[in-house]
Amino acid sequence: MKYLFLAIMAGICIYIGFMFSRKYKTRADFFQALVLLCQKFDVEINYSRERLKNIFNGLDEKQKSKLHGIDNNFISFINKETPLERDFLFKNIKFLKEEEKDVIFMFFKSLGRSDVDSQSKEIKNFQARFETLSSSAAVENKKFGSLSIKLGIISGLVIVVLLI
Amino acid sequence: MLEKILPTDIYDILKNKVNLKSINEIRLRADKPIVLAIGSQKIFLGTYGVTGNLKEAVTASKIMIEDIIFRASECSIYSVNEQLKRGYLVTKGGIRLGIGGDLIEEAGKVKTMTNFTSLNIRLPHEVKNCSLSAFNYLLYDKGIYNTLVISPPGAGKTTFLRDFVYQLSERNYAYNVLILDERGELDLGDDGNIGNFADKICFARKALGFENGIRSLSPNLIVTDELGQKEDIDAVEYAVNSGVSILASVHSDSMESFTKKPNFEKLIKEKVFKRYVLLSMRNGPGTLEGIYNENFTRLQ
Repeated sequence: MKYLFLAIMAGICIYIGFMFSRKYKTRADFFQALVLLCQKFDVEINYSRERLKNIFNGLDEKQKSKLHGIDNNFISFINKETPLERDFLFKNIKFLKEEEKDVIFMFFKSLGRSDVDSQSKEIKNFQARFETLSSSAAVENKKFGSLSIKLGIISGLVIVVLLI
Repeated sequence: MLEKILPTDIYDILKNKVNLKSINEIRLRADKPIVLAIGSQKIFLGTYGVTGNLKEAVTASKIMIEDIIFRASECSIYSVNEQLKRGYLVTKGGIRLGIGGDLIEEAGKVKTMTNFTSLNIRLPHEVKNCSLSAFNYLLYDKGIYNTLVISPPGAGKTTFLRDFVYQLSERNYAYNVLILDERGELDLGDDGNIGNFADKICFARKALGFENGIRSLSPNLIVTDELGQKEDIDAVEYAVNSGVSILASVHSDSMESFTKKPNFEKLIKEKVFKRYVLLSMRNGPGTLEGIYNENFTRLQ
């Protein structure tokens, strides 16, 4: 019974470490997906004048999964099913800081509102900001991602040793 | 489509308290009452339906106008910039938005339109059989006369053209018809029927559309809306010289004022058009005022 309890405690610690690590990876992937989204927008808007909904629908599944539903929430706004509200746009997204949400919300609010030249410039500006966020998230992920798992394992082991 | 572009509260009033099919135009001006054109009558839109009382009228706002344009562009203003530069936008289904605002010029060319302040939403209606009273006058044993439909704005030119194409198909005249829809108004999409023998080229300048269409689709008849520019007239001449019949429309309120329109002298002199159909708003849109031959002799 005692060994089972110790195993559960160790498992919980490793799981917590793993969750922290996943959060860092999710953030890094999310910002990278936003950068790719900006690049796609810039090309589609400049060359084919493709409408926003078609651009979102044309994203591949891998990229969609990294956007954590923000694309579908925006499509709901395009379909006039919901107003463009900050809380709704970030529904189900828990890994972003408030100031990051502000930037991303401003980006989505600006989409489709101006002519090609202005829209392209705006997208490039936001892309630059997302690249900065993406770089910091990648550094964080590198620094704290594996560290979190290691800390989880170590703290699990420490608890096991102390309780034995 | 209208429900997708109008604010929900405005659409609900129109749908539940006004007969949508009776509305020809909805006019919105920033901080002014919303005006509906029903037949030849202009009346305010109130919270409980149409009203003649200014105090009960619903007021449009600048944000409302911007939002309608944004929605009409399918949330992609950049994709309709070429239309905006010319002061209009056409949605799927042929709803045409005439837009007032600030034109931005750069190096002598219009770059875009911003600061939208007014909007004229023209609702197309399919009026079945509206071309029938003129139908037989426009056909002869070898084909279709080159015909020009003349009317003031909003008097049913486009509806006439659309119905004529439908009637040709209904009566099994298997002419290959090319609809050159420069502004996207002729084709109502799922809401309209243009028969079984019509091809479409949309959003192309007439000169380009005529040339490409004749080469690639070999039409017997080209149907197009609103001739006016010199290059439109050149395109008509090109088509006629290629052996293709033309059914087109032009803005004018009478035969007399039509003959004074610039750019048309040559076509009139050379009797390119063998039939003229004059429409008016006298008894509502689409009132047939007369059919004339190439010598302006009245046939009906």
